[in-house]
Amino acid sequence: MRSFLNAVIFTLAVVGFFAYVCIYVTNLSGGSGGGGATGVSPEAGEKIFWGDGQCHTCHSIGTSGSATRGPNQEGLASRAEEKAKATGLGSGLEYMVESIVNPSSFVVEGYDDIMPKVFAPPIMLDREKILAVLTYLQTLGGEPDIDAVIKFKDKIPEASKTKVVPWVPPIEVDLKEGELIFFDDTRDVTCSKCHVINGKGAKVGPDLTGIGAVQTPQYLIESVLKPSAVIVKGFETMYLMTNDGMAYNGLLVSQDEEEVVLMIDEEGEMVEYVFYPDEIAQMQKQDVSIMPGNLSEMLTTKEFYGIISFLLSQK
Amino acid sequence: MSKLIPFINFTSKKLQLRFVFTLFLVIFLIALATGAGMAQEGAESAKTTEAAETTAEGKTAAAEPEPEPYEVVDYRNFFGIDGRLIVWIISELHLMFAAFVLAVPIFVVIIEMIGVKSGDIRFDNLAREFTKLLSAAFATTASLGGLLAFALYGLYPAFMRYMTDVFHPYMFIYALCFFGEVFCLYGYYYSWDLLSRTPKGKWFHISIGVMLNLFGTALMMLANSWATFMMAPGGINMETGTVTSLYHAFYNFLWMPVNIHRIIANVAFGGFVVGAYAAVKFMGSRTDEERAHYDWMGYIGNFIGLGALIPLPFAGYYLGREIYMASPVMGNIMMGGAFSWTFIVQAILIGMLFIGGNYYLWNGMSRIKGAERYTPYIKYINIVIFFCFAVWLTPHNLPLSGEERALIGEQYHPFSKFFGVMAAKNAVVNLLILSTFFSFLLYRRANKGETKPFSSHGSAARITLIITAGLTVMYLAWYALGLRGLEMEENILRYVSPLVTCLVIQIISIVIAILLTFANKGKIAQSFLFVVTTVMAVIYFWYYGFVVMEKANLVLRFLSVTQVSIVISCLIVNTVIDVFLFKDAKEVGGIQWGKIPHRSQYALLLLCVAIVTLMGLMGFIRSGLRMNWHIYGYMQDTSAGAFTPSIAYMGWTVSLIVILFLALVAFVFWLAGLADKKKKHA
Repeated sequence: MRSFLNAVIFTLAVVGFFAYVCIYVTNLSGGSGGGGATGVSPEAGEKIFWGDGQCHTCHSIGTSGSATRGPNQEGLASRAEEKAKATGLGSGLEYMVESIVNPSSFVVEGYDDIMPKVFAPPIMLDREKILAVLTYLQTLGGEPDIDAVIKFKDKIPEASKTKVVPWVPPIEVDLKEGELIFFDDTRDVTCSKCHVINGKGAKVGPDLTGIGAVQTPQYLIESVLKPSAVIVKGFETMYLMTNDGMAYNGLLVSQDEEEVVLMIDEEGEMVEYVFYPDEIAQMQKQDVSIMPGNLSEMLTTKEFYGIISFLLSQK
Repeated sequence: MSKLIPFINFTSKKLQLRFVFTLFLVIFLIALATGAGMAQEGAESAKTTEAAETTAEGKTAAAEPEPEPYEVVDYRNFFGIDGRLIVWIISELHLMFAAFVLAVPIFVVIIEMIGVKSGDIRFDNLAREFTKLLSAAFATTASLGGLLAFALYGLYPAFMRYMTDVFHPYMFIYALCFFGEVFCLYGYYYSWDLLSRTPKGKWFHISIGVMLNLFGTALMMLANSWATFMMAPGGINMETGTVTSLYHAFYNFLWMPVNIHRIIANVAFGGFVVGAYAAVKFMGSRTDEERAHYDWMGYIGNFIGLGALIPLPFAGYYLGREIYMASPVMGNIMMGGAFSWTFIVQAILIGMLFIGGNYYLWNGMSRIKGAERYTPYIKYINIVIFFCFAVWLTPHNLPLSGEERALIGEQYHPFSKFFGVMAAKNAVVNLLILSTFFSFLLYRRANKGETKPFSSHGSAARITLIITAGLTVMYLAWYALGLRGLEMEENILRYVSPLVTCLVIQIISIVIAILLTFANKGKIAQSFLFVVTTVMAVIYFWYYGFVVMEKANLVLRFLSVTQVSIVISCLIVNTVIDVFLFKDAKEVGGIQWGKIPHRSQYALLLLCVAIVTLMGLMGFIRSGLRMNWHIYGYMQDTSAGAFTPSIAYMGWTVSLIVILFLALVAFVFWLAGLADKKKKHA
């Protein structure tokens, strides 16, 4: 009986140690769960930030949390005011709303454009929860103003409560065919000459690995049909004029004191050009994407939707 | 004057225990009655309100009130307790018992076979004793399974309605397999004496055991498909939920990785649980004979547990990779998001398992004469294991305060940042496995003296070694050819070439090791293979992992598999060499079963508690990755409890589950032992 009791005490000690480690790790990581968060208040917003919203996956706040993918949100409210002034928005709150509704609109320098739309799957925060998070974000370097936040409620899309309705192409398409066209280098325009998927292709444009998990069909359709509508940060076209009057449009590969390297489209082939500072007369970013804008003429409807379906399957 | 003997002895410990137990029962029953009463009260008050409303309406309208429409409920709670918590506890308990019930028959049949082949009755007795525990635990598993089904259908009716719609054909197959398992288990247990009389009968008995395993594995795989369907649904229209392919719903993307991981984990789980049973029995033994028996039983349990623990990280890595492939969002949540810190807790538990396992082996060497020759090396293995543990434990980014950041001058710690990344962790996991394997080899040769030349074992040994090495080399060559055939950009592909070179070096090393063994230089062959493997898989790949992470991250996945392949090939070839190296070798001294230090039994207990806790933790992670989805991407969990709890909350819940499981196991094993006590007293 004594040996059994010793075994019980030992077991309880080990289990107790496990529980202690869990509590310690919770304090260390800053994640305290998101249970029971209701209503629009900074308290509810804080719970959602560290719980359901999964905001802490990418953002830390001061020394709470350890994520570094997105900017640390300490002092966000005051920073947002400055950003709003710089971008011509009415208030810091509007800047925060815009950043949540359309995460690609303001990407902080030094960070990638990776933030998902939190009202879309798989996070799917409902409107009330997003409003709650906004009130919480206001407390980071400012004062919460619930009435002001509520005024933005119509700007925030409502998440579907029951299930996700996936996009279905208007005509029947073959996903495999879409994949073949994407990588087919016998065509006049080949997607994989500029985009990479799972390591295949060239890295001239944005890497499209896993694009289906983070972008909507609407975004992809727009990006193919109107490439200049939204240009991913870091892939803007650069206009360069040399002293002898030659003009070039291309992607900026690198730039330092000694040279500027542009990737330039030469009859469908991407070629690197090196320019030295003393031969450059003018250089500026363009609002036009280097991606061909006439893809709708080069693809049949079936091929077009095949590519879109293939991209959406990349999750 | 005669001493007065009180009618009731209030100082009796037994009586005090009975009081405590009765008090506990009373409190429990009162709590239950109060809960039920409250629920009933709620229902009654609702009825009263309804009645009042009806009367009021009755005054204004003479017509009969409309009958209340039938309301379809999506979620319920359990007497005010969140349904998710109840399902969590019951399913985890069911899973733990099921793991034990599925794992034990695997090694019971193997032990019985060893007994038949070797003619050693001890193996047969041991297999039988394990089966006795099995039959006692089986009924509890089935009861918990029934309870889980009721809980799911009662608390999550809408979700279960859909799952039943999709999987109902397989549910009937599940029930049939369950019958098969019941008949095989009880047939196996109760026919032991009857079928042991003749060799043919014995093999027939073993065949029943094999059937038992087949039914058990089929049951596990059926249930796994439902769980993995929830994580990575396939074969359904994601808009309407219509089943487009039942086969793909069943054979979904994560089904096979989870099957493989669970089978191996179950074996480790079963081994460590019987090890702990033996430890408790050993500590309570009164005779040398009993001590010797339970010492041996504990040794076998630990051997099985450690044997399965070695390939487990590889299976876990494969599963993790497949989760990433199924959904990068889910993968990100797992390793970089809400669940990333739970892997620090996991590292602590796995560290406990490796340290506990090695500690037990080293203690075990004290009961072996001749083991003192290897004692000086133990401290070095200790240092290596603790170093590996420390690196594995290091998080990728330690949260730093503003002051610390200013002091360091960068976001990451200048040294720890190198230990927190995957390249370092992969390297130390492989080193940990190699060290544990080395520790086990020392244990095996502890009482062995001069070895017999390999050539004396005849052609059977040579053929076995050639087949083993041949298969290993074929696998390595197949993987190397696969790497060469990868379709990638040239600037990424060049980072794959060193991996191919390492695989080729390993193939050559295996061939050299085999030739050295044939030349009666088995020990040199083992050392040679060990050194080459450690240099490549640990030292070189640690460095090269950083290069790949920096220059061609995509190659990291191939690097990890190459690393694992090289280590496994070393373990397989060295094991076979070791078997023949020490076959019929001279013994320096015998093993004195029962003469192991008492403290070693706590190591067995630690192993059991750690693996049970680990199973609880990993169950939480696997299930929690779906976040607020019943079926990821199709059906959302809209219940009030649909949130990811904090790690602390998880810690408390898993602790409760572990205590409940161990208490139930102890109770069930105690019941199983009652029959033996009766026999002894008779």
